[in-house]
Amino acid sequence: MDGIHDMGGKQGFGRIAVEEDYIFRSAWQRRAFALVEALAWSTPYNTDQHRHAVECVPPADYLRLDYFENWIVASEMLLKEAGLVDQSELDDGRKHFDVDQKSHAPVGVHEIVDATKAGADLRFPEDTQSARFAVGQSVLVSHTQAAGHTRVPRYLRGKTGRIVSDEGVFQFADAVVAGRGPDPQHCYTVVFSAQDLWGEEAQVGDSLCADLWEAYLEPA
Amino acid sequence: MSKQSKGSDKGHTDGHGHEHDPLEEGAALRVRALEEIVVAKGLVDPEALDSIVEYYERETGPRNGAAVVARAWSDPEFKNWLLQDGTAAINSMGFRGVQGEHIRVIENTDETHNVVVCTLCSCYPWPVLGLAPAWYKSPAYRSRVVREPRVVLEEFGFELPRGTQVRVWDSTAEVRYLILPVRPANTGDLSVEELAQLVTRNGMIGTAAV
Repeated sequence: MDGIHDMGGKQGFGRIAVEEDYIFRSAWQRRAFALVEALAWSTPYNTDQHRHAVECVPPADYLRLDYFENWIVASEMLLKEAGLVDQSELDDGRKHFDVDQKSHAPVGVHEIVDATKAGADLRFPEDTQSARFAVGQSVLVSHTQAAGHTRVPRYLRGKTGRIVSDEGVFQFADAVVAGRGPDPQHCYTVVFSAQDLWGEEAQVGDSLCADLWEAYLEPA
Repeated sequence: MSKQSKGSDKGHTDGHGHEHDPLEEGAALRVRALEEIVVAKGLVDPEALDSIVEYYERETGPRNGAAVVARAWSDPEFKNWLLQDGTAAINSMGFRGVQGEHIRVIENTDETHNVVVCTLCSCYPWPVLGLAPAWYKSPAYRSRVVREPRVVLEEFGFELPRGTQVRVWDSTAEVRYLILPVRPANTGDLSVEELAQLVTRNGMIGTAAV
């Protein structure tokens, strides 16, 4: 979606607060991070769905709220959608109804640390999907703007780049969030000339790389 | 608070001023409310909440990345492996987990300086760098570094050597990026541990030389 989250190339945000080097500034940010991570196991929602929920935070709120508050707003949305929490509960901070614990069991201390340490491999075997593009080939990034979750930044749409590597076959984030399953496909690193992206304000020779799923690309 | 705000009339960036920030107060309440509801419903084990943050603070962070970089500077065979298959080489040092499942290491050279961003959210290689600092997630960094990386690097106090090209890496899919900085001159007699001390988090993002 063409949301406020898609920030690459936007102007007007001023200098970078390089001194803001902290991870958490307040106890509640720490708590918010942990809550989002823990809820992912029992709710359940995955990273892609949570990312999309953050994208759906209204633009004015997205910019005004703290990063971790946006995470919490997104988790509230997902919990409400799943029927596990309702707005009246969020309004007064109290439980009004029970949920079926069997299908939403909380994850224990050891399981969550083990799972965090293990991570989740999102790749599929290379030979499950043929590759449409080869390293060195020129590709055009599709103009199509998906209404839902997508990982094509707006500043790359309609631009021509060159495949520098085939990262392998991955589940496709757009399809996962749209409920179409993993739709595994090749994901490529594509290089663009900075001048092709930004015009003459960019320096000759500078470049940008992004990882793009096959569905976003057409032969140039 | 002993700190009188001379020349700093905006409390937001003052790490000690958050108790007086109405926005943060609102957020703190919001988080507490959600926590109480989901704990009461049995959706979350409150002990697990503590253990998650402890895990990240204990097991992840830039010292892991610095150990990887220092080893690559000292061991050409390891460096080749790291650049060919970053995930496997990094896993071999015991660094792994969420947001580190697919790591690619990019080498800075005298010809090309590399810098990493996630314009769409805040993707970052957690096992080797820890959780991302606030500036990395800020609209200013995410919007500007792709468009005017040279100006951004200057803001970080990093002077790009003349004739060096800049390549920005936007973490748009599942691969997370770690930059291998150029080894500083006159460090030939340093041990791997001493070399690791030279490596900073910003050096591994690309907003500093080392």
